Amino acid sequence: MLTKLLGGIVYDPMHGVKGKKRDIYIRDGRIVRKPGKNERIHKTIDVSNKVIMAGGIDIHTHIGGGKVNIARMMLPEDHQQDPVRTTAKTRAGSGYAAPSTLTTGYRYAEMGYTSCFEPAMLPVNARQAHMEMADTPIVDTGAYSLLGNDDFLLQLITKKKSQKLINDYVAWTMHASQAMAVKIVNPGGINAFKFNQRKLDLDDNNSFYNLSPRKILKVLARSLHELGVPHPLHVHGCNLGVPGNVHTTLDTIEAMAGLPIHLTHVQFHSYGTEGDRKFSSGAVHIAEALNKHKNISLDVGQIMFGQTVTASGDTMMQHSGSEHAHPNKWVCMDIECDAGCGVVPFRYRDKNFVNALQWCIGLEIFLLASDPWRIFLTTDHPNGAPFTMYPHLIRLLMDRSFRNDMLSTLNKSARAASVLDSIDREYSLYEIATMTRAAPARSLGLTDRGHLGINACADITVYNEHANKEIMFAQPEYVFKNGTLVVKNGKVINTPAGSTHTVKPDFDPGIEKHLKKYFDRYHTVKLGNFKISDDELLDYGRESLIVHPCVNN
Amino acid sequence: MTALLLTLKKQPELPVDLSPLTPDKLKGKSKAQISAIKLINGKDKTPVSTLFSVSGSDTENIRIQRSCRQLTHIGEDMSFGEIQVRGDAGNYLGKHMHGGHIKVSGHSGDSTACGLKGGLIEIDGDVGDRLGANFIGELHGMSDGTVIVSGNAGHRVGERMRRGTIVVRGHVGEYCANWMLAGSIIVLGKTGNYLGNGMKRGTVILTKKPRHMIATFRHCGLLKIEFLRLFFKQMALANKEFNFFRNFGPEAIRFAGDVSCEGLGEILVLKNARISK
Repeated sequence: MLTKLLGGIVYDPMHGVKGKKRDIYIRDGRIVRKPGKNERIHKTIDVSNKVIMAGGIDIHTHIGGGKVNIARMMLPEDHQQDPVRTTAKTRAGSGYAAPSTLTTGYRYAEMGYTSCFEPAMLPVNARQAHMEMADTPIVDTGAYSLLGNDDFLLQLITKKKSQKLINDYVAWTMHASQAMAVKIVNPGGINAFKFNQRKLDLDDNNSFYNLSPRKILKVLARSLHELGVPHPLHVHGCNLGVPGNVHTTLDTIEAMAGLPIHLTHVQFHSYGTEGDRKFSSGAVHIAEALNKHKNISLDVGQIMFGQTVTASGDTMMQHSGSEHAHPNKWVCMDIECDAGCGVVPFRYRDKNFVNALQWCIGLEIFLLASDPWRIFLTTDHPNGAPFTMYPHLIRLLMDRSFRNDMLSTLNKSARAASVLDSIDREYSLYEIATMTRAAPARSLGLTDRGHLGINACADITVYNEHANKEIMFAQPEYVFKNGTLVVKNGKVINTPAGSTHTVKPDFDPGIEKHLKKYFDRYHTVKLGNFKISDDELLDYGRESLIVHPCVNN
Repeated sequence: MTALLLTLKKQPELPVDLSPLTPDKLKGKSKAQISAIKLINGKDKTPVSTLFSVSGSDTENIRIQRSCRQLTHIGEDMSFGEIQVRGDAGNYLGKHMHGGHIKVSGHSGDSTACGLKGGLIEIDGDVGDRLGANFIGELHGMSDGTVIVSGNAGHRVGERMRRGTIVVRGHVGEYCANWMLAGSIIVLGKTGNYLGNGMKRGTVILTKKPRHMIATFRHCGLLKIEFLRLFFKQMALANKEFNFFRNFGPEAIRFAGDVSCEGLGEILVLKNARISK
């Protein structure tokens, strides 16, 4: 079947198309060339003067795995207050900060997003995470394995094993947990927490393994680079949320010495210690470093005001933040020999100095970073705000007067401490299309997503142009997933299953000899049961498994 | 004006959420408007007129006739007026109620008076678990008001209770006053195991010594607590149901706990508490 989208205004940064009027043809889930004169066009959809972009890609959103489920269980009030009733096409659900799986899929699709990536999947929890993501309809999913705090890797590094062996282990873990990339959370810090350390700076040593976060970061970043995994090491650095951590972040960037890394929710890592309250913005330094170091990419993790829940693998920082829990209940737990997790509900308040300045810092980073190809739009759902706030965030970036109106309602001292009101920059639609589509696709190695070129996957979003960008991005007119029309006028009309994306680097199977001993001695799961096969993954209800090739470095 | 009479036509198969039928929400509504209100019934929405025959007009005085266990959330969030239930009531009766009066002639379900904030709830029959406890997910149970149960109550009476009074004339189940923060619970019958587990403050008054006390309560001996006499006198004055309280003396054995947490709670076992029927 051949579908024609007639006369839309196309934004396709991958091909440098900047708002050109163009027809798009879809056949069998792919974008195809203009057909010959004799070919029959089965369906023509008139989208003249509407904005066409590729389907959105969220590079960092916690939508599956143990911690999200803990958040759901711990906050029944979050679900009571936001029920979603069943319709003819969709099933019921609930939840605002940590929505149920089905609702997550529908809401993402209704916003024009077609791919979402869960960034913190503990390998031992991979099965649960993939099952949850299989229950998330419409959107494509993928997950990053969490390494860097697991005892096996730390033992390998302590025993000074070869980089080759470490690469094998990383590649084996990606295979076993069906991962897309690798994330490191508080390098060595979650492990150090188990040995009663409550703080670990970049050059502090884990008291048991005598390893510094710097060393672990370098080894893992090198490993991913050598394996050729398209997405570089996804780094959630040391000292999250600690005033003064901007120096840790800058040191981390320097320590990489040219190795590519992706710094995630960098807003939480950009705090200085200036001013009366010893809390200030380090956004300028971060943006400067980003502009200077081409090997770095980042996502912001913008906060928005209101109730949400923070769910993270960083037990150390979640434990120290637990005193701020609102409502007053929280969970911190140790998970096998892999890492841990902490779930702390939190309310960001616009009249609070720290929260207001966090809001400013996030926006400052967005607006001072010059290259939209290396900065991605996220709220670190649900840690900064639920993903449903993206349209609001886009409006803040695209509309200076709106931004300043919002700013004027915030805490006075925070306003004085921020340079936000002096920044004139407004993002263009082209730049938004870059940071929400083309750039994440390129960073993750999704060659056929995030653009509208020939033979690209027909994940397409059609927006109605509107002066208020929040309305424009909240309710797309049409959303296509694999060529199927899934959303019409902002309502889900079809719910196909999405696919799972993975990357499978080569490794020497001899690594299993070492791992078997380790599993038998320390793990609750046998090595054979730990691995998730392709068939098993498809049995969860995914449409297909897409394996992306590694790149040669 | 006669009371608004809602007579159940046929026992519904699935639970019906009656939270829209309170004096607050019906204020100023005509009979036709009330009949048209849609109630959540399982996963459907059913108009009041399909389920009930409606007569009368005084929305401050609602009577539900031939009620059954499937009618849930009766009197949710109400702040004034009266609801009389003839028959049994379902779960969540008087949830988050601020004021007013609910009287049930039969039994009531689980989570009765959960998160109660004020008013009076009287139940002639038994109630299920979690009487006066917290609504699921909330950190506090009932924070004011009075609940009087003439029959027995299930487990976890007054869990996380913050303030207010619960009186149970029959027996209560296990974990009574669990994680209680403050308030008063009076039980005239027997109590189950784990009474007062995790109790921070508050008072549980009993007429019979519990069969088993948890280890973290301290025996403080027999005390003469003058306050009790005043307390019971006031109770008897406040409600004629409590006339028998007049006999209750000031002597009581005091247990203090739960010392594993704050330990300012107390369990008082009254001496010579005679209940004249």
